[in-house]
Amino acid sequence: MAYQAGPSGSGNGRRGHPRGYSESIFHVFWLAGMSCEGCTVSAMGASAPGIEDLVMGRVPALPKVVLHHPTLAGDSGHEFMEPFRQAAEGTLGAPYIVVLEGSIPDDQVLEREGHFAAMGVGADLPQGAARGGDQPLRTTDWVVALAPRAAATIAIGTCATWGGIPAAVGNITGSMGLMDFLGKEYRSASGVPVVNVPGCAPIGDNFTETLSELMMFLDGLRPLPHFDELGRPAWMFEETVHRHCPKAGYYEEGVFAHEPGDNQCLVEIGCWGPVVQCNIVERGAINHMGGCMVSGGVCIGCTMPGFPDKYSPFYKAPPGSAISGGISKIYGGGIRRLRRMSMKTGNREPMWDNADEIPSAWDRAHGDRDPVDKVSAFFYKKLQYGGTVHHAKRQKKQPLPQSRDILRQKGVNQEDSVDVLGEKVISREEL
Amino acid sequence: MAVQQTGRDVQPIAFDPVSRVAGPLAFRGEVDLRDGRVLGAEAMATHFRGYEIVLQGRDVRDAIFISSRACGVCGGAHAKASALACEMAFGIQPPPTGIVGRNLLAALDNLSDYPMHLFTRVGPDFSEPVVRETNPELWERALQAAARGAPTHGYKRISDIMTGLTRFSGKLYAEALRMSRVAREAYVLIGGKYPHPQTIVPGGLSAKIDRSTVNHMFLRAVPFLDYGQKVAAIWDDLTEFFYAADPRFREVGAGPRNFIDLGLWDDPYYYDGTFETAAGWGQRRWATPGAIVEGQLRTTDLHQINMGVEEFVDHSFYEDWNGGERLPTDLVGNRLSRNHPWNKETIPRPGGTSSRGKYSWSTAPRWNRYPMETGPSARLWITAMANSMPHRRFMEPTGHSLKLSVPQGALPETELEWHLPESWGAFERNRARAYALVHSSLVAHEQVVIALDQLRKGGPDAKVFTPYSIPKGFRAAAGLWGSSRGFLSHHMTIDKGVVESYQILGPSTWVASPMDPFGRPGPLEEAVGATPLLSTANPERCIDVLRAIRSFDPCMPCTTQ
Repeated sequence: MAYQAGPSGSGNGRRGHPRGYSESIFHVFWLAGMSCEGCTVSAMGASAPGIEDLVMGRVPALPKVVLHHPTLAGDSGHEFMEPFRQAAEGTLGAPYIVVLEGSIPDDQVLEREGHFAAMGVGADLPQGAARGGDQPLRTTDWVVALAPRAAATIAIGTCATWGGIPAAVGNITGSMGLMDFLGKEYRSASGVPVVNVPGCAPIGDNFTETLSELMMFLDGLRPLPHFDELGRPAWMFEETVHRHCPKAGYYEEGVFAHEPGDNQCLVEIGCWGPVVQCNIVERGAINHMGGCMVSGGVCIGCTMPGFPDKYSPFYKAPPGSAISGGISKIYGGGIRRLRRMSMKTGNREPMWDNADEIPSAWDRAHGDRDPVDKVSAFFYKKLQYGGTVHHAKRQKKQPLPQSRDILRQKGVNQEDSVDVLGEKVISREEL
Repeated sequence: MAVQQTGRDVQPIAFDPVSRVAGPLAFRGEVDLRDGRVLGAEAMATHFRGYEIVLQGRDVRDAIFISSRACGVCGGAHAKASALACEMAFGIQPPPTGIVGRNLLAALDNLSDYPMHLFTRVGPDFSEPVVRETNPELWERALQAAARGAPTHGYKRISDIMTGLTRFSGKLYAEALRMSRVAREAYVLIGGKYPHPQTIVPGGLSAKIDRSTVNHMFLRAVPFLDYGQKVAAIWDDLTEFFYAADPRFREVGAGPRNFIDLGLWDDPYYYDGTFETAAGWGQRRWATPGAIVEGQLRTTDLHQINMGVEEFVDHSFYEDWNGGERLPTDLVGNRLSRNHPWNKETIPRPGGTSSRGKYSWSTAPRWNRYPMETGPSARLWITAMANSMPHRRFMEPTGHSLKLSVPQGALPETELEWHLPESWGAFERNRARAYALVHSSLVAHEQVVIALDQLRKGGPDAKVFTPYSIPKGFRAAAGLWGSSRGFLSHHMTIDKGVVESYQILGPSTWVASPMDPFGRPGPLEEAVGATPLLSTANPERCIDVLRAIRSFDPCMPCTTQ
């Protein structure tokens, strides 16, 4: 039975299942335009959920995926293409989702039988036979044939979403994103416009999570999640990557890296993070590990529609950073100094204040405080405990523990312990 | 089906696409089902994206991030090749820890990619459902056959291995996905992202490498010491099982033993980034560069390898370039062909596909006019045969083999040895990739040890980046490196800091290349042509042709840019 497209809008309750368990099956047709296969590689790295979990139907709440992906398929050639033809003709008998990796080339206008990206031959698609049954069939022909009946259409990666590098200035292929190709009026059979999961390469989990959410919506288990005005999953892309960047604190304190390899904020060596929408620093590149700035690399805006030309030349500081970075150096410098003062008192046990001594042999820690520290600590405590219990005062009355410095009290001779290693590994002077 | 009067049963075969290779590859030919022979074969790359054209006229600082994205399977290798070219043009070299960090990325790339190839791309060709369908007698035999490597890999019978190789549901398939992710976790710690690392810059790395980073990487590289042994034992068992069942399996995907590789993993205290000294630093790599023609080692000198490279477009969707030679000689005075990448131009001309005319987006690279095979197998062959690698901690070439000393993990310490195989075909290619996984795991292990040592020493050795300024004048430069699939070169010329020409030559361009103007087919075409069809139950499926193709692990985004 052909998939009956429901009315657009919320799919909630349309095809509900008891206890949220799904028995549905969705076919996923993976098409590749001007792709580098990187989105596939990324998706195979996903684990929340993993592609294999979807294919094996291992997640109870999720429909099972029948994946038609050339790099993962069992069959080749005509056998592999047969379900594509059925989907295009409406005889597949199950709902399907189209995923496009790679940008759309302008090869519909090529004369004769040329292509820039192809899969299958003319004979695999009735509409394609006009091209000659043995000629490579353009990916763009498949998109035209499959997108109108698809339950949902997902563009994965910056090439398929916004054109990416194949659409960069100077290229001759006339490349574009899927939205550009299908146009503003396009809706899937269930009424959903193109869903865009950008990134070059995207985070694998961003894709599998979006696919899962869409399937649950189509299956009637959940409402349609929130997509932003460009079709991005809003919960992933509404924030700038800078807001969650582990180096954003350096920016706030006005401390910047001078060259690659430095640990500070990378804006002055070409990082565009403050104006780029991406979630890689909180989600990580894979299994919550890595992420561009987490590892010390600059953000080059690879999730954005303007990539690459609006963010290049790479490794040249963004013009805006001269203003924002300059201001941050001025006020951040002040904030940083105040914070260091707070840290000085925070790095002391309250008891050390009473004893006026730090029992550490590491030479950087010393007990005495200069008068400025004492004065600032006094006022800091006033503010901190004003209107509530003054723990600092109570602490002053606290007796010092009697077993402090127990080794000296008991007269333990440390020279004996030298024998364990035979010699002292570090001398007192070295510290 | 066309049964001809001669008593032959000639059928056209067309695989468009050939599944389970990276990117769009199509294959056409004719087979004689009665004789079980392949009569003709054409490998077709069916996409073109224009990376070399996009790079022209851009600021040279864009080269790394743009060229990396030519291939999403080995983007890191492209980034590094591009960085090497930039360094050659700028006259700089990374500090030792920068080099070691990049070496680690290259090794981890392999540790992520080889399991994916061996178990998700080629593995299913030897899985229970496929073997039962194509050769049920082999399945019966596998049920009885004890696996010699059982103490290492834990699969008692060959049939257990075949079941494990089943797509998605097999244990070996699932384990490969898991291990591939472990390698990527280590990779992104200093690479930021996988694929397309974000930290490779001219002069080294834009990454903070501290003890925690290295420790985390170490802990993720260690399981590969065991896993590599396990994988080698599995492919040894499979290969020997098929050979014993029918010796003709040796001929599946047979090739003429032409190999080319640029080497991989630079010596942190030897690599200086210049072309002039390339012969020296090339020899110090953890895999020796070289060219082998018909089983004979011709050279291990990067200059000689580089100058012999030519690319032809007679059967490709490009126009020949008429321009004069940009570089009549290389940077040390060796004569260069007009078809050398430094002189080549990319002029795409999309058109219809015809078997005697143009049929692929791949160019036809040749070395001294020979079609050459690339890949981890080429890397092992050349390294073993050249026997010129300096002393390395866990490996030793002998001239006829490569000894690999695997330190103790969960499995005891072992010495493995990869021997130059007597026959050369699909099974040996797969087996070599399994041993290359062990090799890469040992390189990764050694790099971690060196990195920890450099961090301990501190000072300039522990730095990861060398500052540079972009030269104003004309420069020609090349990044001579390797991806997980081997040979990778980026040749560029720049003027006033702007890219004038950029040519990428990837390992799979060699492998998946079409016919050259001298009438010699590409290595993949030749290997398929030599393949006997040995399926007893379903010869139409041409499983051995597919095994031959997939044993090369062609990567189409690398093939055409």
